[in-house]
Amino acid sequence: MKQIMILIITEHTGNVVNPVSWEVVAAAQNISGNNSITLGVMGSGLEQILSDFLQADVSEVLCVDNPDLLDYNSDSFVDAWAQVINNEMPDLVLLPHTYRTRDFAPKLASRLGSSLITDCIATKERDEGLTFVRPMFQGKFVADVIPEGKSPHFISFQIGAYRADEARKRIETASLRMFPLTIDKSKIRQHPEHPFKESQQAVDLSQADRIVAVGRGIKDQEHLPLVQQLAKELGAELAASRPICDAGWLPMDRQVGSSGQTVAPTLYFALGISGAIQHLVGMKGSRTIVAINKDADAPIFEIADYGIVGDLFEIVPAIISALEE
Amino acid sequence: MAAALRLANLQRQQNGAPLSIAVLEKSRSSGAHMLSGAVFDPTVLEELIPDWRSKNSPLKIPVIKDHIYFLTEKHRLRFPVTPPPLRNHGNFVLSLNGLVKWLADLVEESGVDIFTGFSGTEILFDGDRVAGVRTGDRGVDREGKPKKTFEPGVDIRAAVTIFADGVRGNLTKQLIHRFSLDSGRSAQSYALGIRELWEVPEGRIAPGAVIHTLGYPLRMEEFGGGFAYGLSDGRLSIGFVSGLDYRDPLFDPHNAFQLFKQHPLIKDLLKNGQMIRYGAKALPEGGWHSIPRCHVDGALIVGDAAGFVNSLRLKGIHLAMRSGMCAADAAFEAIRLKDSSRDVLARYTASIENGDIHRELYPVRNVHQSFSGGLLAGLSYSALALLTRGWWIKDPMPTEPGYKRIESVRNYYRDREIKVTSADIDRRLTFDKLTSVHYSGTRHDEDQPNHLIVRDTDICRTVCLEEYKNPCTRFCPANVYEIIPVSGNSGGKELKINASNCVHCKTCDIMDPYQIIDWVPPEGGGGPQYEGM
Repeated sequence: MKQIMILIITEHTGNVVNPVSWEVVAAAQNISGNNSITLGVMGSGLEQILSDFLQADVSEVLCVDNPDLLDYNSDSFVDAWAQVINNEMPDLVLLPHTYRTRDFAPKLASRLGSSLITDCIATKERDEGLTFVRPMFQGKFVADVIPEGKSPHFISFQIGAYRADEARKRIETASLRMFPLTIDKSKIRQHPEHPFKESQQAVDLSQADRIVAVGRGIKDQEHLPLVQQLAKELGAELAASRPICDAGWLPMDRQVGSSGQTVAPTLYFALGISGAIQHLVGMKGSRTIVAINKDADAPIFEIADYGIVGDLFEIVPAIISALEE
Repeated sequence: MAAALRLANLQRQQNGAPLSIAVLEKSRSSGAHMLSGAVFDPTVLEELIPDWRSKNSPLKIPVIKDHIYFLTEKHRLRFPVTPPPLRNHGNFVLSLNGLVKWLADLVEESGVDIFTGFSGTEILFDGDRVAGVRTGDRGVDREGKPKKTFEPGVDIRAAVTIFADGVRGNLTKQLIHRFSLDSGRSAQSYALGIRELWEVPEGRIAPGAVIHTLGYPLRMEEFGGGFAYGLSDGRLSIGFVSGLDYRDPLFDPHNAFQLFKQHPLIKDLLKNGQMIRYGAKALPEGGWHSIPRCHVDGALIVGDAAGFVNSLRLKGIHLAMRSGMCAADAAFEAIRLKDSSRDVLARYTASIENGDIHRELYPVRNVHQSFSGGLLAGLSYSALALLTRGWWIKDPMPTEPGYKRIESVRNYYRDREIKVTSADIDRRLTFDKLTSVHYSGTRHDEDQPNHLIVRDTDICRTVCLEEYKNPCTRFCPANVYEIIPVSGNSGGKELKINASNCVHCKTCDIMDPYQIIDWVPPEGGGGPQYEGM
């Protein structure tokens, strides 16, 4: 198998690495052959980012650290990556299929006269060569695509197609190479404004490891503090089924279900939730589900790992005391 | 679709200046809001698409047998003979959703534009002439304020507008009201059809087997019945129609459907099967005398919106298509003459009155109304009507709209014990409304104005609660309406509207005893997804 040179364009915001970058590392490592993988990092003030990326099991980390690249900007990033690629001449450039990639990758690829295959979910070796698999027609078909034309070929990977924790790391840090360059500021046409912020801090329940959810069984808004206490003891986020949010007892961003958020935490407590299918589709991926409901026939018990048929006003305080010990 | 196709065909045949033809569809894709049993009479297709057999049509399952049963709670009695109008020899079992998708492809191939995701919310007038339709605004939030994604509705102007907005169509309703198109006509009657698509072990029911039932769980005073049609690949179409002119305010059509499924005849059909999809829609049942005037300056009304349904044969699809073709003929003529005034468009009504539609609907014009005397009266009259071609002492037979027939709890139950038989919900054979709604695939953007306009919710929590016990919480097959206790301990109740559950069946607009509910289209694209229905 031919040995190829792969450049990964990573993504980060501030001092936080976007986990999808690790997914692309996993994708690269998955391509068979004794390939050389270079992790590309671009920005400014990158010590913390680099300390993270240097753990990767790759041939080297290439870093472009330039104050003009502190904030993402389409023209400047295209200019900078083009310089890197023209110098390094990789066979493949791999990116995560994020909004940012969608913004600059097409420009970058067409500037270099290269092909770009987006939103791929896997790679395959076929007689014709290295093939990239991507969904078509909203996932009804899957196509094997072979890039043509001169190198490098640009490939972006669908978020979640590979798992970030599958990326191989190693003890010895990878070798780091700084790549100095200058940006022609006169060629930059975009002037970004302040990043848009929701006026209200929206809760992202999909990031919570533990969730305590409350439903109609709570009867009245005044009983919420009991549930909030349980959540605090468990170190869990508070969530709710639709009727609670419709009544305004909790904000809409705490709703779990088909018209709310889909979550898959390690622990999900369902208090006074009947388990209507609209709610179940939002949480059935949870690792462990504990349900407390007065109604033994409630559908929630069909998917709960642990179920207690009883009065939550008796059981929840008992759980809280047990936790406090 | 039939009208559009016919217009395109006429244009092709007769050349002349090209017509610009557009179809506006509120659902996200053609056919998504269409459902029916369905047993389809293909004769109209011979005229509209003579080469339909070579076009991979959805007419794949001919009816092979027709059985009618009378059901009691545990038993069945099969009618030894199937009455001629209910014989389906030569007809096909198919999915209406599939039929519309197929027609839509043909329509687009012929150069007509289909704009999906556009709901018609307002009629545009030039004085008293219909000048077109305005589509709904998009990107309006719950409070009615524009969001970042706001797009105002578009005015679509046309020489001729053909209204095909279905049973109790919201635009047709406006048209009828403005021009008193129903004056001198009988009140329209309706029924609510609720059905499911099931997958059962292959061989359980033969493709093309058609079963209709009368009796259980309806009482003698109630109109309706059940059906089960064998589709291909182990699929089964099963459903129940309840007349929306029942007297018992505690009647629940969705519950009736669940009880129907528990009857041994049906339970055996569904054993070890899986429900795949659910849906519901009202049907017009009033027949010939309830059809309003269907032509005005600049516009025509076709299909279920006008009420072209044969309530004896239980068929309306072929009549809807036939009316579409007649409307296309009249519209084409009007455009050719550059005159779409009502005198010219009256040609449409003439073709209805002198053609196949009259031939089919006139003899059965009093059938549905005869059932207001009960099941026996209805059956007797229907038999008589076959011989006398619909004659009756009083013609039209007197009728009352369903929302007036529904009685108050006090009047209906008087001193009797209030006993309601609720089906057991096991979520394998029978389902609760919320689960059913999930299987209808209905989706609406949550952040939009409520599209069920209840003009006075005080009535809900006071007068209606007292008189009828809020029948909307029962006749809606999608759990849109709920009466919940007001927060705090005041003991009061209030109406909660779960608009995003709506399956666009129109029952609430039809059946609300105070007639204070107005169904208007939600933001275009929202609604059920009736794949295969």
